[in-house]
Amino acid sequence: MVTQETTANAGARQSARKQRSMSGTGGRTAALFLTPFFAVFTLAMVAPVVYSIVLSFFAQQKSGLGFGEAKTSFVGLENYLQVLQSESFVGGIGRLALYCLIYIPCMMGGALAFALLLDAGVARARKLFQLLVFLPHAVPGVIAALIWAYLYTPGVSPIVSVLESGGISLNFLDNHMILPSIVNISVWEWTGYNVIILFTALQAVSREVLEAARVDGAGEIRAAISIKLPLILPALSVIMLFTVIGTLQLFTEPSIIGKATASVTSTWVPNMWAYDAAFNRHNLNQAAAASIIIALLAAVLSWAVTRFSSRMNKA
Amino acid sequence: MKRRKLLLGAVSLMASAALVTGCGSTTAATPTPTEDPSGTITFWSPLAGMDKVAAAFNASQSKIKVNFETVPNGSGGGYAKLSTAVTAGNGPDVATIEYPQLPQFVSNGQLQPLDGLINKSATVDKLKDETKSLVQFGDKTFALPYDAAPMIMWYRKDMLDKAGVGVPKTWDEFEQAGKKFKAIAPDSFLTSFNPNEASLTGALAWQAGAKWFGTDGESWKIGVNDDPTQKVASYWQKLIDQKIVKVQQSFSDEWSADLASGAVVGVLGANWSATGIQKRTEASGQKGQWIAAEVPNWGTPSDAFYGGSTFNITKSSKNPAAAAKFIEYLATNSDAIKARGNTGSAFLAFPGLTPVAQQAYDASYFGNDIYSVFDKAYSTITPGWQWGPNWDITNTALKDAYGKLTTGGKITEAVDTAQTATVAGLKQNGLSVKE
Repeated sequence: MVTQETTANAGARQSARKQRSMSGTGGRTAALFLTPFFAVFTLAMVAPVVYSIVLSFFAQQKSGLGFGEAKTSFVGLENYLQVLQSESFVGGIGRLALYCLIYIPCMMGGALAFALLLDAGVARARKLFQLLVFLPHAVPGVIAALIWAYLYTPGVSPIVSVLESGGISLNFLDNHMILPSIVNISVWEWTGYNVIILFTALQAVSREVLEAARVDGAGEIRAAISIKLPLILPALSVIMLFTVIGTLQLFTEPSIIGKATASVTSTWVPNMWAYDAAFNRHNLNQAAAASIIIALLAAVLSWAVTRFSSRMNKA
Repeated sequence: MKRRKLLLGAVSLMASAALVTGCGSTTAATPTPTEDPSGTITFWSPLAGMDKVAAAFNASQSKIKVNFETVPNGSGGGYAKLSTAVTAGNGPDVATIEYPQLPQFVSNGQLQPLDGLINKSATVDKLKDETKSLVQFGDKTFALPYDAAPMIMWYRKDMLDKAGVGVPKTWDEFEQAGKKFKAIAPDSFLTSFNPNEASLTGALAWQAGAKWFGTDGESWKIGVNDDPTQKVASYWQKLIDQKIVKVQQSFSDEWSADLASGAVVGVLGANWSATGIQKRTEASGQKGQWIAAEVPNWGTPSDAFYGGSTFNITKSSKNPAAAAKFIEYLATNSDAIKARGNTGSAFLAFPGLTPVAQQAYDASYFGNDIYSVFDKAYSTITPGWQWGPNWDITNTALKDAYGKLTTGGKITEAVDTAQTATVAGLKQNGLSVKE
């Protein structure tokens, strides 16, 4: 057995060496496979980003009554300053921060709890529950928002009328409740998806380690906290990264809910701010600047999350 | 700058043309439209039944072929689509734009002036001044109006009878009627206040004599919180505080449910509201109970437009002559109205067309002669109103500020916010603004 393995290893090493010596053709093959990717990437990603950056340094200025042609001039960072000085943009970021503060613990906590329960085998019909938990994610975001808008609207919603008959009058769509209401939609939509990722990671946890823990007298809960949780930290940090980036892109749910209530303003979150700048205020340059700021924010946050989680993983 | 000079040139040319015709010359001095344009053009509209109109036009002649495309309405993103497409140079030849948004498309240079393309004396010159002033800027015509939409108050007649009140003539009577109605139905509302419809607030202010947008030489004068508007704002705030009207989004599920259940017994709308009211209340057996009435006034009969669309030729049109022929047909030809069929209680700007639309519409759901009410309301439109160079700024600012109405915000504060936002927004675009 042992000798066989070593020969196999040696063979592999040899063939690897052979491949490295044929690096000329390798490069060509790589190019063949990579070109389509880079072509699409350049066309769909790099070009628009570069165009946006260029746009963001210019401004269209009209004069007088504005019925004449607009003049385009280079304004440097002025668009960025205007965006950052805009009360509604900064307010939107603050709202988003508050949203994260409620959403991330709720969603992550929920996903982790579900995944651990599924893994512990507490749930009998494991496959069925897996499906049920995932189901909300299969509903497209726009449809989900429409359904929830219906469930929140007083006078139409069965939930509101049941609460009312129980003596609780709650307007899910007013100024105070609107943020938790939207967080609720996102939690409903995303928990199941993340349960699947965490559950898969839990399945990969070596059964021997768990057995050893059990022999040492750890119960299910102790095993979950001290063994499983540290071992699925990489999966958790991946989820965290996706969630943070996804949160910055919040747009669909508030804009759909905004059709049912005036509480969601047109600049409710930064992405809506950019949309409003482009299509309501017809200021494409400012919209470009706002988009770049959002992208930078996403970059910084993802860097922070990966940095933080890699340190956690090492520790 | 170049454009300004051109504009001045065109203006002086037209002035001299007016002089010539004034002197009794019968030959038109305005450039004659291409006699026989031909080709294929595209037409975008969110209006129902326009596909049939385009088909009828195609069948009526063989030179011009119109391709029709349905687009979402303004609040559904239709204007964003149009604006982007025209900027990119692949917009339609003919577009549909509502009155409030029209100046902003003109200001963005996205429309072609119709002068020289259309037969003015047979089209725009026949319109009422109040309508004409909504489509003409700087002596140029940029659109042909389709419908004129007088603001109309719709009531449940049976509920007014129950409360023992007649149809309110003035806003004061309206408030009194509301109080009496509250006495018999404490949980219901006489009508709703729609925070999603900033142009309805605009219409109410217009009716009261406000001027949100005006020009003073080379500057815009913005008065979104002027005295008449303040009067309107505090009046409606009073109605909200007394729970006579309910703050709710129009066209929302909540609004529909309330109309069907009788929780709200009135609709502040326009002529076009009829279909919507019928659709939402027919199943609850309210046939014959809804009536149209002139909107209550501040002492003398007056009204304003709420909604209404125009047809225009975009900058990206390569065949404006053919497009012009088509919009003339759309806006002034009775065959176009007939072809559209029954698509609601339309009220059209061009004289002589409304009876055609009336014939196609079955108004038997309503308890009174709604068209005679429309006629009366249309005859009292307050003159002198103008929409501003970027309605969307005011629109969103007002809508956003209305978001606080359900948690203690006031309409009076909202119009102040909208004023500040409008002035700041226009200045940021480089326009000259006076408050």
